Formats: sequence, C-alpha cells, structure tokens
Amino acid sequence: MSAHVNMQTATPDKSIPLSQPTTRATDIRARGEPFTWALGGALALGCAMIIGFLVMVFWNGLVTFVPKPVIAVTTTDNQVTAGEPTRTELYKPQSADLAALSPQIQKSISDSDGFASRTMFRVGNYDLYNEDFRWVSEFQVTKTEAPKDILFAEREEWGPLIATLKNITVDGQTIETADIHDPRFAAAHQTSRDRRKRIREIEKDDIGKINFQLDELRIDVRKAELRSGRDSTDHAVAQTTLKEKTPQLEAQYKALAEEAGKLRELNSRNSAMFVDITGREKSVALDLIVRVYKPNDMSFFESVGVYFSRWWEFVSSEPREANTEGGILPAIFGTAAMTLMMVIAVAPFGVITALYLREYAKQGKLVAFVRISVNNLAGVPSIVYGVFGLGFFAYVLGGSIDQLFYPERLPNPTFGTGGLLWASLTLALLTVPVVIVATEEALSAVPRSMREGSLACGASKWQTIKYIVLPRALPGIMTGVILAMARGAGEVAPLMLVGVVKLAPELPVDGFFPFVHLERSFMHLGFHIFDVGFQSRNSEAGKPMVFVTTMLLIGLIFAMNVTAITVRNRLKRKFKGSQF
Amino acid sequence: MAPAQIGSGAVLFSTKMPQVPKRGFGVTTETSNPTSVLPRQRRSMKTPRSVLIADKVADGVIRVGGLAVILAVFGIMVFLAQVVVPLFTGGHLEGQTKVALQAGGHKTLTDFIDEYRTISVAVDDAGAVSAFHIKTGRAITVPSFDFGGQTATAFARTLAGGYVGFGFGDGTLRLGRMLLVVNIIESNSAPAGLQKLGATDDLTDGNAIYTSISATQYRRTLVKLELGEPQQITPGGEAIMALDYRVGGTAERPARSFITIDANGVGRITLAETKKNFMTNKETITLTTSELPGLKPGVVVSGVLMTEKADQVYIAEKSGTVYRYDTRNFDKPELAEAIDLAPGAVDINVLGFLIGEQSIVVGGSDGSVNIYYRLPRESATSTDGFTLVKAKTLEPHTAAVIAMDAGQRGKSFITADADGNVWARHLTSEQVLLRLKPGDAKPTYQTLALAPRQNAALAISADGTVYAWDFEVPHPETTLKTIFGKVWYEGYPEPTYTWQSSAGTDAFEPKLSLIPLIFGTIKATVYSLLFAIPIALGAAIFTSEFVHPKIRAVVKPTMELMASLPSVVLGFIAALVLAPIVETWIAAVMMAFFIIPLGLFLGAYLWQLLPYQFQLKYDGLPKFVAMVVTLLLCGVVAYVAGPSLEVIFFAGDFKAWTNGSIGSGTPFTALVLLPIVFIAVWVITGRISSARLSNLLRSKDRFGAGLADLGRWGITLVIAALISTAIAAALTFLGLDVRGGVVDTYVQRNTLVVAFAMGFAVIPIIYTIAEDALNTVPEHLRAASLGCGATPWQTATSVILPAAMSGVFAGIMVGMGRAVGETMIVVMAAGNTPLIEWNIFSGLRALSANIAVELPEAVRDSTLYRMLFLAALTLFVMTFVVNTLAELVRQKFRKRTAAL
Repeated sequence: MSAHVNMQTATPDKSIPLSQPTTRATDIRARGEPFTWALGGALALGCAMIIGFLVMVFWNGLVTFVPKPVIAVTTTDNQVTAGEPTRTELYKPQSADLAALSPQIQKSISDSDGFASRTMFRVGNYDLYNEDFRWVSEFQVTKTEAPKDILFAEREEWGPLIATLKNITVDGQTIETADIHDPRFAAAHQTSRDRRKRIREIEKDDIGKINFQLDELRIDVRKAELRSGRDSTDHAVAQTTLKEKTPQLEAQYKALAEEAGKLRELNSRNSAMFVDITGREKSVALDLIVRVYKPNDMSFFESVGVYFSRWWEFVSSEPREANTEGGILPAIFGTAAMTLMMVIAVAPFGVITALYLREYAKQGKLVAFVRISVNNLAGVPSIVYGVFGLGFFAYVLGGSIDQLFYPERLPNPTFGTGGLLWASLTLALLTVPVVIVATEEALSAVPRSMREGSLACGASKWQTIKYIVLPRALPGIMTGVILAMARGAGEVAPLMLVGVVKLAPELPVDGFFPFVHLERSFMHLGFHIFDVGFQSRNSEAGKPMVFVTTMLLIGLIFAMNVTAITVRNRLKRKFKGSQF
Repeated sequence: MAPAQIGSGAVLFSTKMPQVPKRGFGVTTETSNPTSVLPRQRRSMKTPRSVLIADKVADGVIRVGGLAVILAVFGIMVFLAQVVVPLFTGGHLEGQTKVALQAGGHKTLTDFIDEYRTISVAVDDAGAVSAFHIKTGRAITVPSFDFGGQTATAFARTLAGGYVGFGFGDGTLRLGRMLLVVNIIESNSAPAGLQKLGATDDLTDGNAIYTSISATQYRRTLVKLELGEPQQITPGGEAIMALDYRVGGTAERPARSFITIDANGVGRITLAETKKNFMTNKETITLTTSELPGLKPGVVVSGVLMTEKADQVYIAEKSGTVYRYDTRNFDKPELAEAIDLAPGAVDINVLGFLIGEQSIVVGGSDGSVNIYYRLPRESATSTDGFTLVKAKTLEPHTAAVIAMDAGQRGKSFITADADGNVWARHLTSEQVLLRLKPGDAKPTYQTLALAPRQNAALAISADGTVYAWDFEVPHPETTLKTIFGKVWYEGYPEPTYTWQSSAGTDAFEPKLSLIPLIFGTIKATVYSLLFAIPIALGAAIFTSEFVHPKIRAVVKPTMELMASLPSVVLGFIAALVLAPIVETWIAAVMMAFFIIPLGLFLGAYLWQLLPYQFQLKYDGLPKFVAMVVTLLLCGVVAYVAGPSLEVIFFAGDFKAWTNGSIGSGTPFTALVLLPIVFIAVWVITGRISSARLSNLLRSKDRFGAGLADLGRWGITLVIAALISTAIAAALTFLGLDVRGGVVDTYVQRNTLVVAFAMGFAVIPIIYTIAEDALNTVPEHLRAASLGCGATPWQTATSVILPAAMSGVFAGIMVGMGRAVGETMIVVMAAGNTPLIEWNIFSGLRALSANIAVELPEAVRDSTLYRMLFLAALTLFVMTFVVNTLAELVRQKFRKRTAAL
C-alpha cells in the first residue's frame, strides 16, 4: 500500500492548456478515497455479518442451559406472573390499548416515539395456564421480586413447572416438607426415576424383543407361503412353529407387562404437591420430574451442576415433548451414521472417477466436456438430488429390492421408501463432484517426472498409481472427502425427501439381526432444527433447543472444515521434501 | 512392455514393491533395499503374474467405475426427464368391444359402469334393466323396475350416489336408486359353481360378477335397484318432458330436489322432504313445488340442470336460449337471465355440468362444445350480478353433438356426435384426450357413459348395440400450455397463472402452472443478488487490491467460513430471529440502506482531511478498523434515528404506509431517486468544469484539496436532494407512486429477509471466485500500472478489474446458480405464497421450496409427483446452463490470463 507515496506526477490532462503551469500535486480524486471506503465498507459488512451471526448463535446456544432466575411480577391488575424472563423488546402498543392507560404512561410512551418495553416470561405450568409464555409490559408492573423458595421443575410432559413445594407423598404417605434437599424427597425421587427407567427398559427392549420374534415368525409363514404355496409342508411347518411359539412368547409378554404395571402402580403412589404463584395446587408424580432446582437460591456450583447435567442430558438422551425438550442423541447418531455411510460410498467412487479422468482417459474434447459437467454438477441444487434419490433409489431400486428379497413384507415397503441407505447414497451423489474435483486437482499436482520415473523403473501403471501417485495425492483427496462430509452433514433439503423423520423410534443400529438396519428412517440434526423451529406446537418454546442444536451442527461442520485444512497442511508438509 | 525385455533391476523393483508400503510412502530406491545388493540371489526375468493381473483388474475397475459414475451423473437428468415425459404423452386405447343387447324397441335412458370396469348397466324407458360383463359381453340376470306398464318420458340421474328419477306421461314422478354394489368376500363364502368368463379373472353365477383379487378373496359386483311410489307433480296430469334431480344435504337428512318441465312448457322446482315414522318405519314424502317464471308456453327443452344446493337452475331451450334461475329463495324463484348461447340457426343439443357444478358444457347441433362459467361481472344485466361467460371453446365435432357424460373423479368428460364418434376431453387442458371410433358403423347413440375412474366409455345405440372402450389417460390435465401458459380455471374471473396443487375433494380442479414458482425463484434470486453482488464484489476488490496480505490471510477464510453455514441454520435464523426484528425495525433497516453508503462516503472525505503523514501511517489495518467503526456507527444512527425518519419518510407507520393507506409517497420516492440524481449531477458537474475542478484541487495543499472535495460532495448532495424532491413531487402530482410495485403491503416473512439470509449463502461464493480471479491477474500488470504513476484505485478499476472481468462474471453466475437452487432458506423464510408480484415485502414460493414441501405428500406416479419432477428438471436445467456458462467464461478467462 505504499505504492502511491511518491506519486507526484499526474497523468497529463488534455483539457488543461499547456501554457498553464501544472501543479505537481496529484488530483485528490485519483486516489478514489470515497470509493475505496465503499469497498472497504462492503468487506466490513461481510465480516460483520459472519461474525455477528456466529456470535449470536454461539451466545444463544451457550446460555440456553444456564439456569435463569425466576422473577415474580405483580401487574396493575393485581395479577402475579412468575417465570424466567426470556427476552425484552420494544414494541408499539395498539392505539386501543393505549387509550385505556393512564395519561402519565401515555406520555412516557409517546415520548419514546410510541414504543413501550415488554418482557416475555416463560411461565411454564402449561397444564394449568394453557400457555408457555406471557408478555408483561413494563408500564404494567407494580412489584418485582425473586421468591427464594420457588422451584423450577423440568418434567417429562407439559413443560416446566414453576411453583413451590407443599408436600410429598411417598407410598401413599404424605410427608410435609417443602425442601427439595430433604433426603426423603431425594430418595423417593430417585426410586421413582429408577422404576421409570426400568419400565422403559421393559417396554422398549424386552417387549420389543418379543414383538420382533413374533413378527419374524409371521414373516416366516408368509415367506413359506410365497415360496412353496399354501398347501406345502414348508408352510405347514412354519404355521406349526408359529402356533407353538406364540403362547410361550405371549406368556413372556404378559409377565413383562405385569411387571411394568406393578412398577407403574408403585410409582403412582409417589407424588409431590406443588403450589404455583397464584396459589393453585398441582400434584405431579415424582417419576415425571426430570430435574428440580431452586433458581433463586442456589450456589454457583449448583448452577454449574445444573448447566452441565442439562448438557449431558442433551447429548445423551432421547427427545421428549415433541422434540422441544430432552436430548438429541438419535439425531446426532443419525447424522453421524449417514455421513459415515456417505463417505464409504463417495470416497472410492470419487477417487476412481478422478483417476479415470486424469490417468486413464484420453485427454480430449470429451474429457474436457465431462470435466466441465462434473464441475457444474457441484452447483446443481441439492433438492434435485433429493428428487432423484426418492424417484430412483427409493422407488425404483428399493421397489425392485422389495420385490426380489422382501416379498413377504409387501405391501409394506422395506427398502421401497426413504431410509438411511438411500439418504447416504443421495448425498454421496451430491458430494461426488466435490471429491472428483479435489482428487483431480491433487492428482494433477503430482509431478509428471515422478510418474515417468516409476514407469521407467518398470513399474506397471497400477503400481505407479498405487505407490507413487496416490500417496502424494492423498492430502488433496482427504481434503476433498472431508469437505464432502462437511457439505453432506449440513444438507437438509434432499434428506426431507429420502428418509429423514422428525422422530425415529428405532435407531438404525440395534441388537436384532442383522444389527445394522439401513432401510430405517433416521433423525438428523439439520432436520431437527427445521422441525422444532417450524413444525412444533410452540416454536418459541423450542427456540432455545434449536439454538443449541444449531451450535452443535455448525460446530461439527466447522470442526470438519478445520480438520480438512489441517490435514492438508500436515500432509503437504510431510511430502514437501520428498518431491523430485 | 514385454516382460522379456525388462532388465533385472526393473523386475527386482516390481517384485519388491508390495513390501514398500510397510516402510512408508517414500519412494524406494534400490540402495534402500538390502536384498538388492546380494548378487547371489537369482530372480525370474518375468513380471509376476500377480502384478499383471492386479494391473489389469485395476485398469478395468477404474475404467468401468469412472465411466459408471460419469454415466450415473448424467443419468440423473435422463431419469428426471423419463419421469416427466408421461405428463405430455396422451392416453391410449386398451381395448374395444361391441356387444348386441336384445333390442326390445324401447329407448335406452341411461347406462353406467362400475369402478373396476366390470359391469355395465342400462335402463330403458319401460323400466327393463339389462346388465352385462363388459369384457366378454356376457349378460347377467338383474331385476327390473316395475313402472306398472307405463313408459318413462323423462329421466335424471345424479353424478354420484346412483339416485335416479323417472317422469311419466301422466305427470307423475318416481324416485329411486340404481347402484352397482361392490364388496369383498372370502372365497369360501362365494356360491358354488361359478363359471369362468372368457380369458379374464372374472367369474359369474349368473347374478353377479366375482373377480378374484387374491388367493382367498373375491370382489363381488352386483346390481341393486330401489324404486319409490309415484308422486303427482303436474296438477293437470300433463306429461313430464324433462327432469333433473339432485340429492344434497347429509346422509341422514338428504335434501332431494328436482326440476320438471311439463308438456305445456311449465317449469317447476320441487323439494321433497322424507319423514320416517319410527313406529311403522314407513317413509312419507312431502312435496313443495314452485313454478319457474318466464318460460314460453310450449317451449322445447333440450336440457335441464340444477345445482346440488338447489340454488341455481338452468333450462336450455332447443333453439339456443338458456334460462338461468336464481332459486335461493325457494318460494319465489327468479329468472336471473335468459341468454342465447347458440346464436343463429344452431340448436343446443346437450347441456351438462362437470363435477363440482361450476362448469357448464354446452354442445351444439353444429358440433361445437363450449364451456361456460357463471361469473360475477360488472356489465352483467342479470338480477344477481352474475352472468354466463364462455370460458373455453373446445375442438368441435364434425357432426352435431348428441350426448355427454362427466367424470366423477375429475374434470374429464366425453362427448359423442351424430356420426358415432366419442371424444374424451378434459376441461383444464382443453385437449381431446382420445378420439374413440365405433368401427365402420355410424351408430346413433341414445346414451353415453364414462366410467367413474375415467378409464372407460360406453355408448348404446338405438339398435341396441353397445360400444365399449377401455382406455388409460394417466395425466389428462397437463399439457405444455397448462404448465407454462395462462389457464382459465373454474370460478376464476379470467385466465391466470396459478399453482394450487391439491384440495380435499374430487371436485377440485388442480392448478398446475409452474410460472408462479419459476417467478418466485427468479424473484428470490434477483433480490438476493441485488444485495449480495455489491457486497461480495466490493469486498473482493478491497481484499485483493487494498489490504495487506496478512489481513487478507485472516479476512478471506473468515468470509469463506460463511459458505459452510448450513442453509437450514440460515433459514431458521432468518425466519425466527431476523424476520421479527426486521418487522419491528423496518424503518431503520430501510434507512440503513441509505445511511450506510452516505456514512462511508462522509468517513472517506473526513479521512482525506487528516494530515497526510497520518493517512500514510495508518493506511492498513487502522483504516479498515475505521471503516468498520463507521459502518457500526451508521448502524447505530439508523437504529436511533429510525423512528424519527419513519415519521419523515413513512408518515410514522411503515406498514400502513406501504399499504398506501396513509401518507404520501413523495419523501421516499425522493430518497430512492437520490442516488441516481446524485450520480447524474456528479457526472454533469464533473464534465462541465473538469479542468477548473482539477486545477482547483491541485492548486491547494492536501488539506485544502480535501476540504474542497468534501465541499463539492456536500453541495452536489444538497443539489441532488433538491432535484430529486422536485422530481418526486412532480411524479406524485402526476399520480405515480413508488408504492404498489416494488414496495407494497408488508408481511413478516418477505423477500427482504430472504435476500438477506441468502446473502450468507451467495456472498462467499461470489467473493471467493471474484477474489481469486482478481488475484490471478499477473503481478507485472499491477506493477506496470503503479509504475506509470497510477494510484491503486486507478490500477484496480482500469487495469485489474477489466483483466479479471470474466472471472468476476463467472463468480456472479455461480452465485446465481446457488441462489436459484437454495431450498431451506426459502422454505423457512419466504412464506411460500405463490404470488406473481415484485413487491419486496411480500413472500414467494420458489421451485425448490415447492418440491421440498409437496413431494413428501405426493403419491408416486401421480400428476403432482410428475409435476414436481418437472420442477426439479427445470431447476436442474436452469442451474446447469448458468453454471456451464460460468465455466466456459472462466476457462476463457484462464486462457486470457495465461496469455498476459
């Protein structure tokens, strides 16, 4: 930027008569300072956009799990509202509402250009109030306090409960205690939670297993019927097996169901009575309470404990409350599984294609054309790949697979609908141009002399590629693959067509043969964001969750991108010295 | 290479190769291999087989795999096209049969077909019912109606439900029902001794048809008849000449109504109320009748129609006049209008509704087939403000139209002419789907029937011959014209481009025009690029030409980071965070578009006033920081001054202002005009006083020149503001307002928000490619320009940018491709309303968003499914063309740069 320091001679301007003595100074306009500032402003705006975006997402994501204080406000109409203040904003009150206010308030509002401030309280207690959030305008507030004894209880259903504890009932015995740190409360709560866990285990794993076995038997019968007809011995054998085993399995089922019922019965005898800020009582079964704390009366370490326990719950458990609460383990799992499958598909094919284009095909007009096309396919909208995936993979390919291998399950589709396999293949197709382009670039960067040297030593073409070309191109290939992963992990639109669902009851990997179920639909972080943000009962309630999920997804993708760059740099350094 | 010619070293090399990877990827030389120095070891001169095989296998795999991937990638386009093609291929005839019924000399009143094209049933005017198996012509025994020896003079049947009415010569009327009952029965409960019918899967016991649908189940189809008691309609016993019958209301309380025309030409509308006595379980029917006014005595009627709600009645006089009655007030029907629909010597032969009762088909004796809609019209002379409008003129028959029948599941219908031709047609696409011919004969049909699934037609001629056609028209509603042209849909006042793919009922006419979606895509793209291009290009030029490489090394990856943000995240933030903020602070946001450039310019002029040494010293990062600070300051100013500016420019309430309900457009028009006027004034003053200005600026010292420059800018700005205000006032005076076009009614999820969010996706792409292009301009050009005394600004605009132009252009094209295909942002933030308007404050529905929203619900191989594939193909082609252009331009650019 020091190039123009000594620039004292201006370009001769024809319109100036030669007789006039020209000054030696440069015309100030030649420096184009205002335009430079406009350009710089554009860059500043771009940087501000990305930095502001990231700061907002990460800030919102990180503070979501911080336990917030619960504030109780009394308004002019003597209503008391207790809740977490979520956000405060300026708004313009409707003129009809304004008219009803006192002149003093009206004046203060009109002084601030017609804006008034209001705060949104997360009041919880959905089962009592039928709302999660309540707006309170600042001018309505007469009293604000932070009651020490108020509790914030996260529940399995109906959202949080914000109330005080009145008493608890353990095994039908009422114990008068208002303290959640009371060992009796803690013990009863723990027992209830453990029982709930056991019930869930019974219902999901044990009974699930029995159902699976029954299904298998029924499918065997149908299989035998399709294979050898209704009157064959095969069919008869399968029928008898089904008949023989059914009572046994049903007995097992009954025993398990009974056990679950007993546990449930026991759990129903443990409950806690809460009183909300307006004095309404609400009894909640103890097993439904996930976590309870005193938001206005807790030490720093307790806060930190709650914060991390929420994080742990988030990454390690399943969602509840229509995905707006709980964890996102299935979505993390689904995203990881799909991305992994995609890499398994995309890496070999991408590399093989690039090898063909660069090492085998005759470099001519055709290959140039193919190269342009492949390059441009990277720019084809992802939704188009989704459409193709649905039409070709799921319906045509999957439909044929069902006809050939799973006729006994028809008309219920097995592979003939969206699923993990088809989603991965669709994304593989979507990202294959990325890998091809990156690999080609890497291959072309391998010096020709190395190839020639290898061939001159008598190595075959494949040996040259295997031992000379590929190792040197590996950094580039790795970068391409990781970039493809990053692209694939962030795509949502095509997945909406080929197998992503808002709630997948079964993970694609489980304990039943064949253990990996590629035909199953799955959850995905990106789709989770879309679903919770747009299709849940109350998008406001789900918003914090969406922010955390967003943070996780962006973090994941950035991590992959950074890894790609690091890997490239490291491998580059490794090979730096060894080039001819 | 032949193995025999390979030297020992080469053989050694190749045989040892498999061990090399264990020691790493390094290139092995012979000295690093201890075995090679041992001369005693003897090796085969031949290349080992395994190496040759591996080479062959690898060769094959790579060739086949590579070609397969390339083919697969092109296969996408082929596959999409292959799914789309059936939309445009018409139907085909599957089979044609001709059966002779026993001719009893009676006139056939009606015939119809069941869902599965199994049985056809016909009734003649003596009440005799004949039914037969369509594929084989085998008759089955069915009961008949008992008319007590009378002959029906008029007949009517409802489109769905099988309700029939017969009018007789003595002025009586009998209501009844004729049903084809289909149920599934277990094969072991079927009667014994079923006979197989020809080569079909159908069996019969003589009374019903049994179709085998699985190993254990039959579908049984049989005919069921009901007939009520005669009801006297005409007081004097005049014969009923024409009849229409409708059953509305609910299943428990059906509202039966009918229209009768007697031999004297008197029209009556009758309401029949059925009451059931719970004790005796006997039904009693009470009739209420009103006479229709205005019909000429002795009128010859060729068609009578009534709506299901019994609020509209149409009576077509043979000579061409249609009388439309408004019967909403049942006791006092009103003649709304009498309109001649067949002028001249042409007669109306056929009058019929299509399903939904919105379209009226009028068939003339000249072969014409026209569609009329009842629409509200300002110019209507009728009593209710509506009038019959001829919406469509379909391809005419070559002979007089004599019959029609409407489909029950869609807007298909068939018409027959006097020569015996039967044409299957569709309302929306206006096309003749199939031209069915009866063979060599020229029969005169008495009745015509279209199967419920619109896949078979059946006609019975006067001599008792039945002609049946099986056909398949999978997508009758789509042609290129319906997809890309204006179509006059039912109930619409005029032809429009509309996308509305589905609704709950069969009577809904799907509106499948891609134009609103393509428009939505273009609108989103244009506004996004308007926002993204200046920022991306400005940032690229600045990064490449005006910042230190160290800053560039930080700034460029930061901008590129933006590209890796998943679009679902952008969409979420745009819709749930940004949209409410923008809505609240819309005035401030609008003002920011003007305040930021002004602020930056002002900052630049002030910077020029600083001591020159200072400017030089802090030219790098500090200056950039100053720019950032200026930018943020401008943001704060916009935020703080927003409400006050809203009062000045938008009459204090932005949303009400955009509606056009309050305030004047003048201030904002002036603001929009300001940049244009400013540039004009700037250029003109620059031209006029170029030399003087130049001298003035040069004659001063740096501070003075800076001050003069600032003064010039300020004065020009003031002059431009005055001129643009004057122009705006003049425009307002002329009645032109900035509102109503690009600025109109505000909705929360709008194009402005989409454009901003899309900026995150598009800016990094354009930025990276453009910056790369600018950066690859050879250094010697830059050096030469600077060496000749040009300033960096002059170098950038006059040397670097022209040289890199095609690369920059390619960047814009690629960015455009991304904007066209972006899905999640538009799904979430654009509101998804398929409008055709340029209003930046309204939503849009893009092709991509439409696919994402509708395809999961679309039934495989349905019309909607294929339409969405067409949308995908359109997107594919659009982006492929744009990207290929970009690539070609870029390659040209590369060649050019290489030559420099």
